[in-house]
Amino acid sequence: MSFDWIAFFEYLPRLIRASGVTLQVSLLSLGLACVLAPILALSRLLGPTLLRSAVQAFIELIRGLPPLVVIAFCYFALPKLGLVLSGFWCGVLALGVVGAVYAAEIIRSAIESLGKGQLEAALALGFARWQAVLDILLPQALRRILPPLTNEFANLIKASSLLSVISVHEISQVGQSLIFETFVVIEILVQMAILYLIIIGTVTFISRRLEKGLSS
Amino acid sequence: MDPFYMAQVLVRLLPPLGLTMLLSLTALVIATPLGLVLGAWRAELSDQQPAARLIDTWVLIVRGTPILIQIFVFYFILPKLGLQTPLFVMGVGALVLNSAGYQIEIGRAAVQSVAKGQWEAALALGFDRRASLLQFILPQAARRMVGPVMNELSQLIKASSVLSVITLFELHKAAEAISSANLRFSEVIVVEGILYFVFIFGISLIARVFERRLSSAGGLADAGSFAR
Repeated sequence: MSFDWIAFFEYLPRLIRASGVTLQVSLLSLGLACVLAPILALSRLLGPTLLRSAVQAFIELIRGLPPLVVIAFCYFALPKLGLVLSGFWCGVLALGVVGAVYAAEIIRSAIESLGKGQLEAALALGFARWQAVLDILLPQALRRILPPLTNEFANLIKASSLLSVISVHEISQVGQSLIFETFVVIEILVQMAILYLIIIGTVTFISRRLEKGLSS
Repeated sequence: MDPFYMAQVLVRLLPPLGLTMLLSLTALVIATPLGLVLGAWRAELSDQQPAARLIDTWVLIVRGTPILIQIFVFYFILPKLGLQTPLFVMGVGALVLNSAGYQIEIGRAAVQSVAKGQWEAALALGFDRRASLLQFILPQAARRMVGPVMNELSQLIKASSVLSVITLFELHKAAEAISSANLRFSEVIVVEGILYFVFIFGISLIARVFERRLSSAGGLADAGSFAR
């Protein structure tokens, strides 16, 4: 069992192209998550009671499911409800919703970690509840939100590997079919691991820098 | 949605659910002592020592690649080495490799989070470093590990669903097989989702209670993560 460098470089271009798809899917679902998460978090903090419990139930539901089940639901069950999406957009939707739910929890716990005093002070000064949350609490919470949020991005990238089961041509799917086509196992697995390490490592590095920059 | 059919599916999904629980629990039982001990040890090592480098590399690779790739390593490489391994062992192996990597961080963070004064007090009382760690620091750190380790079980249940890709017949694979055999996807996914939800949500509720009772206040509550 020796490492075949010729095979390594022969298949590398295909996997590099596939990592473009991984990046696209992850970035698009990050975008969706960034739109949905504040809506979820704020309606859980500020909404009327009924909306608040509905949003909380939705968040707990998604957190209690493996992402693979959410992906399968979007791919197999949504068409029955009349929403037919390609594998790619189905993946963006599933990962976006899952990412949004976790990000909403980060936003909520960051706001709650500020302590009651901030909210009480703002209310005593005559701010309305929504003004207090948006203008007083949220800006303070932001420095506690950003670092874990970049970490969530790394999780989104890892989760995008699951989209191989609905045949999105990202790193894992392309690598897997290359392995079955060529029986070159180790070289291709090493490439897949390295590509993920580079992408996720970069994101984690940025996250650490952000954490240091914001805490100082 | 046909309730009668869903009840049938539920009954058929119970044995695979048992396999999911068995996989996750076995992995937890092996990975927890391994990860926590290595983590506590790592907290005591300086960055340059070879053992520290080795542990850091493990953590880096496990956290820097999707669990799917780690599962592929077991699935494709073990047979190449000439080892006939049952799927269950491969699955547990991948979960242990992964979970221990995350639990090293739990153990290390817990030890490092014990206030410096505790170390200083123990050393001032004449205990050596080893005795201080074992008798003063670890008991305090252990309280902070309980919540995250319980959470780890629900993370493992979620992660075990990925073992469906190597045709290990756990809950997700079984649901997939039933739904594609009968071409009725929605009902099966709903039943599967309910089963996963009950266990994962239940366990994370218990973990939250432990976390609130045992760890001293402060810091962000761990929101968990969705992908490994």
